[in-house]
Amino acid sequence: MARPALWRVGRPEEGEPRLAHLDRDRRLVEAAQADPARFEALYRKYLAQVYSFAYYELRDHHEAEDATERTFLSALANLGRFEERARPADGAGASTFRVWLFQIARNAVAQRRRSRRRHPEAPLEAAFNVADPFDMELAAVRRDETGAAARALARLPGDRRRALILRFVDEMTTREIAGILGRSEGAVRVLIHRALRSVARELDDTQR
Amino acid sequence: MTGAPSGPGGRDSQDVDALITDRYLDSILAAHGRGADTGPVPADVQPAFPIRLAADRLARDLPRLHPSFRFEETLAGKLSQAAARMRLPVATGGEPVSLPIPGLGAPSPVAAGRSDVLVRLRLDGPIEVGRPLLIGGAITSAAISLAGAAYVAWRIRHPQASPMVRAARAVARTRLT
Repeated sequence: MARPALWRVGRPEEGEPRLAHLDRDRRLVEAAQADPARFEALYRKYLAQVYSFAYYELRDHHEAEDATERTFLSALANLGRFEERARPADGAGASTFRVWLFQIARNAVAQRRRSRRRHPEAPLEAAFNVADPFDMELAAVRRDETGAAARALARLPGDRRRALILRFVDEMTTREIAGILGRSEGAVRVLIHRALRSVARELDDTQR
Repeated sequence: MTGAPSGPGGRDSQDVDALITDRYLDSILAAHGRGADTGPVPADVQPAFPIRLAADRLARDLPRLHPSFRFEETLAGKLSQAAARMRLPVATGGEPVSLPIPGLGAPSPVAAGRSDVLVRLRLDGPIEVGRPLLIGGAITSAAISLAGAAYVAWRIRHPQASPMVRAARAVARTRLT
């Protein structure tokens, strides 16, 4: 069961500090822990984010779906072990559930990558040009700039790429990304800064 | 400000640059969340120009993705079955029973095969304008209201006698299988 995480909030001049839960998903998580059928709300809320992360990582529609499925089935099965860890420094919109969920997603994606290495199909760099229906439609409508941005992102090494995906596509905070990647917040900031420098160089080369 | 000057060790200056970049990203992503342009950013949170340019490009150009609605409903069904198994008392040794997950009883437009439905969604929060959302392979360029989607779902469940409605429902059933 989730460990109750109560924190004093409110300024001293406002009188007695209140005790409050800080994780924005707390109610949904508690409901799902009490009745697994109510996990659906969390599933609907985070499906697209998890799928986006998986797709950007794997560049394959079917593999992204597979990783997404594993993520949510695993999250449901292990929901009883989830512990809320939101702290005041996490800010008002913090969700430690989301961090936990993306840790699972990261593992699911890594599993797919390992499987792909054992059974290589197409080089990752070429994935945006793979002629599956998704990419054909994507290519038909995507502006050149979008393609350039996605390619620049795809060329980044591991955690730099992941950090940018989580920051720009899933719009997570640096603190959340730090929790997912298992790094300090400062390290993630530097990681993102360096990644952006690489992307800037890449985009600059593309324009020449 | 175009980045902090290099300190003796270089590391501190890199940390400061990274912090400025982080604050800049906070501001542009918050603006995106509001569906607004970035607007003027205070000078003290402006990183070097190339970094700013790259950040703006990524924030603007990277589409969010949504799996196909068929996949969404299929996985919802699997989760529902898994949840039902988790709820079963082990001691009874009973057969797993599929319990309905609230909200899954009525097929959404997409469950009815409408994977081509054009919608524009914010993943978590208010409806966003700004960059595209890809749904199961189709890029979206227009918006329909949630009320519209609900109406389609209601219309599928509440047939009228006209041949056209019966034909539409038949197509929807076919796409579900």
